[in-house]
Amino acid sequence: MPDLVLDLLKYVFLILLYIFVARAVRAVFLEMRPATAQNRAPVSRSPARTAPPPRGSRKAPRKAAVVEGEGLRGKSFSLNDELTIGRAEKNTLVLNDSYVSQFHARISPRGEAFVVEDMGSTNGTYLNKRRLTAPAELQRGDRVKIGKTVLEMRK
Amino acid sequence: MALIVGTGALGLVAVARNFDSLGLAAPLVAAVAGCYIAVNIFLRRVAPHADPLVLPLAAILNVMGLAAVYRLDPDQYGPTQVIWTVVGVTCFVTVLMVVRDYTLLSRFKYLLGFAGVGLLMIPATPLGTEINGAQLWIKVGAFSFQPGEIAKLCLVIFLAAYLAERKELLAIASSRLAGFHVPDLKHFGPLLVMWGISLAVMFYEKDLGSSLLFFSIFLVMLYIATARLVYVAFGLLLFFAGAFVGYSVFSHVRVRVITWLDVFDPRYIQDEGYQLAQSLFALATGGLFGTGLGQGRPDIIPAAETDFIFSVLGEELGLMGTAAILICFMLLVARGLRIAMNARTDFGQLLAAGLTAIFGIQAIIILAGVTRLLPLTGITLPFMSYGGSSLVSNFILIALLVRISHQTADAPAPAETSEILIGGRG
Repeated sequence: MPDLVLDLLKYVFLILLYIFVARAVRAVFLEMRPATAQNRAPVSRSPARTAPPPRGSRKAPRKAAVVEGEGLRGKSFSLNDELTIGRAEKNTLVLNDSYVSQFHARISPRGEAFVVEDMGSTNGTYLNKRRLTAPAELQRGDRVKIGKTVLEMRK
Repeated sequence: MALIVGTGALGLVAVARNFDSLGLAAPLVAAVAGCYIAVNIFLRRVAPHADPLVLPLAAILNVMGLAAVYRLDPDQYGPTQVIWTVVGVTCFVTVLMVVRDYTLLSRFKYLLGFAGVGLLMIPATPLGTEINGAQLWIKVGAFSFQPGEIAKLCLVIFLAAYLAERKELLAIASSRLAGFHVPDLKHFGPLLVMWGISLAVMFYEKDLGSSLLFFSIFLVMLYIATARLVYVAFGLLLFFAGAFVGYSVFSHVRVRVITWLDVFDPRYIQDEGYQLAQSLFALATGGLFGTGLGQGRPDIIPAAETDFIFSVLGEELGLMGTAAILICFMLLVARGLRIAMNARTDFGQLLAAGLTAIFGIQAIIILAGVTRLLPLTGITLPFMSYGGSSLVSNFILIALLVRISHQTADAPAPAETSEILIGGRG
């Protein structure tokens, strides 16, 4: 067989090999992109799936507004004092929701800031889709989910 | 996917073209291609959520290896390797079918641990045969088999289960030693025993590569389980001690180091250093694009079809070819670690990481060996080298990885229980 043909075959083979490699690498990148896209896209569509607030917005919130939940939507609560949330009548914010514990969570001032804290609820308190395991400081734009209710921190 | 298989098949054809034995090669190419297409369809059915890249990457490496083996010896090794590939793919399918839930494997951890040690020891008994100065094989009829390859898998499963159960304990620093918090000595115990057994067996069987491999896997898994550098430091210390003893006691270890340091020394180049020197010449001959498959003279290198398969491809496909191979290895390791990171159970994470470690470390050891980056220790290059036991065990390995990745993606996402990182929010 003439050398020229063999040489050509060699390059064809190498090109094919690299097409394979390129496809594999592309598959890896494609898989990484949807992960970031999924985080961002729902912001405009459904408010419940909010991405974490942008960094640098370190201002403490003044109000907690109910953005999701039956009956209370649109209401907001001032955060000047302690805000307790639960099913019991004694709470500042009473939620009639079987997924909410009697004394479920608490938002209380700590210095300049406000801190959200789970009071040992059964179903947990979520801050920006993450279940609280310890008290966490709140920032504007944070979303706290308790049962079916979502509170957004505003100024 | 089909393109991938096509590429691989073409690799074989390219070899065949350069021989006159095209007619002989065609059925082999068809067998391999058919095998991979079938297993791909099977995989789509049985584990549709599995990582889609693991099998194709393994396949391309395997086919490139096949091409090189076939090119070296179209009469004996080539067809045998094709048979082993079919056997390996069958094992892949079988493991995927049998191991429906990888977490169940952790139940058999002690059994597997003992089986692993047992398999390691068999060649040291009269059953074993010595080939090329290392006593690693057992002969069953006409076949010789390397139980150590399967033992690796057993030991990794055992270690994964063992460490998953005990990782908290192992990570706790309960005593102080020379100003460092050091976990209690008793926690080192069982693992040290395990390590000692493997190492002793390895030294007895004169297989340095595997000895090094076992120890590295052990360290990697221990570190992943505990995230404590103390173990790594301690392990490195043990390693250097072992290496020193090996160097002073065994002459074949010394030979390896001498040829590594000075491969072109006229005193050695005709014998001890011959193999390594030829490997370097082969790689140099390859240049950027290589001589073309079937047109180099890689058959000069002793053991070209096993340990030095990479040099063969280096000569015939050049830097471009070897770089592609390295990228494939890297991608496969990256996928393995990704599977490990995403796995839902501790056992799954450790198992995937350990399996990936087997694969990655083995590739590093032998690739560094044939390129004279590290002293040469003869082990197989996963998926590429000639050798049935190695091929089969690697197919089982990726079957487990595929299973883990499928189970990770398949299981419904658990309630959001991830821990909140307060520190990050100021």
